[in-house]
Amino acid sequence: MNKLKISVLLAIIFAAFLLDVALGSIHIPVRDVLKILFTADKMDEGWIYIIEKIRLPKAMTAVLVGCGLSVSGLQMQTLFRNPLAGPSVLGITAGASLGVALVMLSAGTITSLYTIKELGISGSWLIIVASSLGAALIMVIIVSISSSLKDNVIVLIIGVMIGNITLSVISIWQYFSSPELIKDYLMWTFGSLGGVTGEQLILLAIVVAMGLLISFFSSKLLDALLLGDNYARSMGLTVQRARLLIIGSTSLLAGGITAFCGPIGFIGIAVPHLARALFNTSSHRVLIPACCLIGTALMLICDIVAQLPGSQTVLPINVITALVGSPVVIWIIAGPTKLRGF
Amino acid sequence: MMKKINCILVFLLLAVACKQPSTEKKHISAKTGAAEIRYAKGFSIDYYDAYKLISIYTGEGKSHDTMQYVLLPKGSKAPAGYAKAQLIHIPVKKLIATSSMHVALADFAGAADAITGLGSLQYVSSAQVRKNIVAGKVKEVGIDGTMNDEMLISMKPDLVMVMGNPDAKFSKYETLTSAGVPVMLNSEWLETTPLGRAEWVKLMAALMDQENLVNEKFDTVEKEYKKLAQLGKTAKHKPTLVNGMPYKGTWYVPDGDSYMVQFFKDAGTTYKWGNVHGKGSLPLNFETVAPEALKADFWLSPGNVNSKKEINAIDARYAYFKPFKTGTVFNNNKRTNDLGSNDFWESGAVNPHLVLGDLIRILHPELLPGRELVYYQKLN
Repeated sequence: MNKLKISVLLAIIFAAFLLDVALGSIHIPVRDVLKILFTADKMDEGWIYIIEKIRLPKAMTAVLVGCGLSVSGLQMQTLFRNPLAGPSVLGITAGASLGVALVMLSAGTITSLYTIKELGISGSWLIIVASSLGAALIMVIIVSISSSLKDNVIVLIIGVMIGNITLSVISIWQYFSSPELIKDYLMWTFGSLGGVTGEQLILLAIVVAMGLLISFFSSKLLDALLLGDNYARSMGLTVQRARLLIIGSTSLLAGGITAFCGPIGFIGIAVPHLARALFNTSSHRVLIPACCLIGTALMLICDIVAQLPGSQTVLPINVITALVGSPVVIWIIAGPTKLRGF
Repeated sequence: MMKKINCILVFLLLAVACKQPSTEKKHISAKTGAAEIRYAKGFSIDYYDAYKLISIYTGEGKSHDTMQYVLLPKGSKAPAGYAKAQLIHIPVKKLIATSSMHVALADFAGAADAITGLGSLQYVSSAQVRKNIVAGKVKEVGIDGTMNDEMLISMKPDLVMVMGNPDAKFSKYETLTSAGVPVMLNSEWLETTPLGRAEWVKLMAALMDQENLVNEKFDTVEKEYKKLAQLGKTAKHKPTLVNGMPYKGTWYVPDGDSYMVQFFKDAGTTYKWGNVHGKGSLPLNFETVAPEALKADFWLSPGNVNSKKEINAIDARYAYFKPFKTGTVFNNNKRTNDLGSNDFWESGAVNPHLVLGDLIRILHPELLPGRELVYYQKLN
């Protein structure tokens, strides 16, 4: 049964990937798209550029983001035994935002920016580095607090509070910034899959792969944690170390993705629920790959919708993930299959 | 007794009723003329014996929804009939400027010294204003949401100039106006032509009593601009161009209602979105503009960058654009000062002939040989 579900999901992903590459503002016939992808035939230079440099990297980014955010959400929900947990609750996304705000809202004003440029980091890399550092900073704070606390719920609350503090700092900053700079920052918070290409795409792939690997290896730990800290301890598990490992991989996934694509909401919370409902299990050895598949499919579909095929504009991905995804989740949770795993 | 009172009441009512029309009669003094506004659509200036009247209109046409300002010398009595209009004492000696354009207008009218407050002390290019800032004569008052009302009121300015159009909610400035501080909504950014934008100097002229000087200067600007536009329009070859840089997948390109596009037309170019009419700029996605950028002859104003290397660092895909490969990327930030303020947005706005000269020099080097670029620079 699971095999059937997986093959259906794979088919959906394949179709969605192809559609994502084939559809857009500029009409390129599907046959020509396939030719550009798989042959070396001579085609219109503009078309080749659009497919190879714009649409293909974007679709690949969608796959990475879909996998990464869903799995990090699943881990958070298991670790905190809370169905509302997601990568954003620990303040990791807020930390990344702080880093980005630091760069964007002070752009061109402080001399330190010049210094950073002198170091050879400029343009989009600057944003990525700042964002990663911001996420890492909040992460370190959370981990150091959580290592002295036994209760996961308290760690969760502290994470939410630190996230709030971080967002207030950003708000104060925004309040005193010029409208153009605020606009730049606001655009970033809308999320985007379009800006990740070339070396950045490779780096994002490495980061997500690392996070996912840690995740796969800790699937047994996650299963044990689901039954409670005491049970996990009785199984000979060092809860503290497991927690650090899981928080670490979540931060890597959520922090890395936020750095490259901006804070993309909803996927992290919703996909784990979809996976549990669809596969009717709470075993992480099934749920982790399931999250990857569903997350990828959902992200690709959202990206197709965001492009508004045929129109010349594009909607921010963050708007679409919630708009398309929320009704799906409500339908699944309120429908015949009940919310499971808690 | 009651009857008597009634009679008196009726008489009083009649008296009031009769008095009404006389307050309606607007102009005590005769109208003596109006400023000749040839390009700008957003304002008009009427002259009366004892005062001037500025009307600021909504973007298009002379809609009846206008903001009125009565300008009169200090000490003279306000004319009746302008209940809604704000009073400004001229010449304005203490001006609060909240955008680069306001600074440029004052500078053009030779009244930069009148600026005693700025939205932000950072975004200024005018040498005179910078000098006054260093001397501590100019205070920072904040812009929009962060405007410091208390400080503004205590500064007792003759006028606060803010960006906006009369459609925007004026109520947010009510604290100031009710404290007797006049606030002027300056909507020069809605103008669709460079000369229209620059012509707002005439509004500043009226405020500063500098009509003669400003009209003379503007006539020179206009003459020079028209001469250059003639040169550009008659150019045989019309190169293609793209303007700006995409951000997060969206490329805001100027459309047919943008003064930038008027520049492009006057400079003799082929611009793809020149006949699309909208709000001044179109939010297009990257792939819509990319085919154009790949084969364009020129790439203008790619944003806050100083070299092709920096463009490449932002997104390596931009290196595939033809202008990038052939070295025809020009940015309008040559006159950016140490604080990061770009004079293109300041003095460039009131010197459209210099901007057009730059563009023709870039796009048709043979038409203006030897001319030095003022606002634009080639990116290497």
